[in-house]
Amino acid sequence: MNALALVIAFSLAMALETLPSGPVYGMIHPDFVALLLLYWSIRSGSELSYTVVWLIGLLQDMAMGDVPGGQAVADVLMIYALVNGLVRVRHLSVWEQLVFIFMLLFAHRLIVWSWQLWSGPVSWHFSLLLSPLMGALLWPLFTYLLDYLRHHLKSTP
Amino acid sequence: MPALFFPRRYPPLLRVAAFVLLSIVIAALSEKHPNMLNWSGNLTYPIHWLDLQATESWRTVGEYLQDRRSLLAENAQLREKLKALEPKLLENEILHNENRQLLALLDSFPQPPGKMAVAQVIAENFSPGSQLITVNLGSRNGVQVGQPVLAAGGVAGQVIHVADLSAQIALISDLDSSIPAQLAGTNLPLLVNGKGNIHWLSVPFQPRNTTLKAGDQLVTSGLGGRFPSGLHIGTISRVIHNGDEPFAQISVRPAVPLGQLTTVLILLNNNTTSRPSKP
Repeated sequence: MNALALVIAFSLAMALETLPSGPVYGMIHPDFVALLLLYWSIRSGSELSYTVVWLIGLLQDMAMGDVPGGQAVADVLMIYALVNGLVRVRHLSVWEQLVFIFMLLFAHRLIVWSWQLWSGPVSWHFSLLLSPLMGALLWPLFTYLLDYLRHHLKSTP
Repeated sequence: MPALFFPRRYPPLLRVAAFVLLSIVIAALSEKHPNMLNWSGNLTYPIHWLDLQATESWRTVGEYLQDRRSLLAENAQLREKLKALEPKLLENEILHNENRQLLALLDSFPQPPGKMAVAQVIAENFSPGSQLITVNLGSRNGVQVGQPVLAAGGVAGQVIHVADLSAQIALISDLDSSIPAQLAGTNLPLLVNGKGNIHWLSVPFQPRNTTLKAGDQLVTSGLGGRFPSGLHIGTISRVIHNGDEPFAQISVRPAVPLGQLTTVLILLNNNTTSRPSKP
């Protein structure tokens, strides 16, 4: 994939993560960076470097002001889990893929939440479920949109 | 993609474990040295700049779409409000002058509030663990770690990280936030802690037979020298005297709508540099 397109895509995804749109958006918006990493990993096969994934996660931690390392660890573990089940994911139906994506995003969210315990007690909140659910529901639209953009960019001289 | 740190000849599980360990080291170091990652604000500024552009574009579109009729109606409403407020303003001015004269007599004229800066919110992070906002002013504008942040209504939070062009603010609802407070009109010392929820704060360590009740107003006490005294923090909304608990559970509704902040006021005359800590 084009490196510049990836930089732009990840910058936009991180900007969407920190967009000042109030607490409701903060609770329900999907983790756009994690979705993009999943998409990138599925489309590029096993070419994804854990170093790049980890650095992207660390940058997201910094942008959000969280305890550094939480997103980075969650991203690396999520991609590891995906790569190990990648062969199976490709043969799954759309609905089965949705369940798989939801499980990955929820595990990702749980790791980030656990990491925040580092700075003090963090209570469990139902919004921890909402964001992965939104991510899984948006997955078909997200992949369709990115596939369309990729093909469009490739065909542009 | 090239493997920058850990070559691919190592098994994937080993590489993943190495990154987990590296992250733990970074998290531990950042907890020990809170100012270590101040520079990261410069690195992530382009992302927050994108947020700022998106917010401003949205506001411009909204203003453009607002039709003339609604503007006229709003104008008429504001004129009515102004008419109603004029006598109160006059009364305020008289009281203010009288107060100045009395304080001058007591030889304890209050210090002027000092230099302030109006900052625009360019990013937010609302999660159960963090209640943080990022603003478009940084060390180049005189912002420092520890400076108090106000908004319309009262106290909003405190600066915790500063980069050249941006600063991160922990809201008073953040889990790490704790403000010395007192009941308005008394000297009863209290603490107001964040609970990780923008709608509620808490007052810890109050006995079950506390005299605090719903409707009481809480203001900053000025203890510790970080926040000026007398700033509105919030109103007590609920006091639960549970027989099994050693302390009363007191919930406070913040005076500032923390979820709708677009601009905040940073008090620049505060020179302390340590990160706010939980007592």
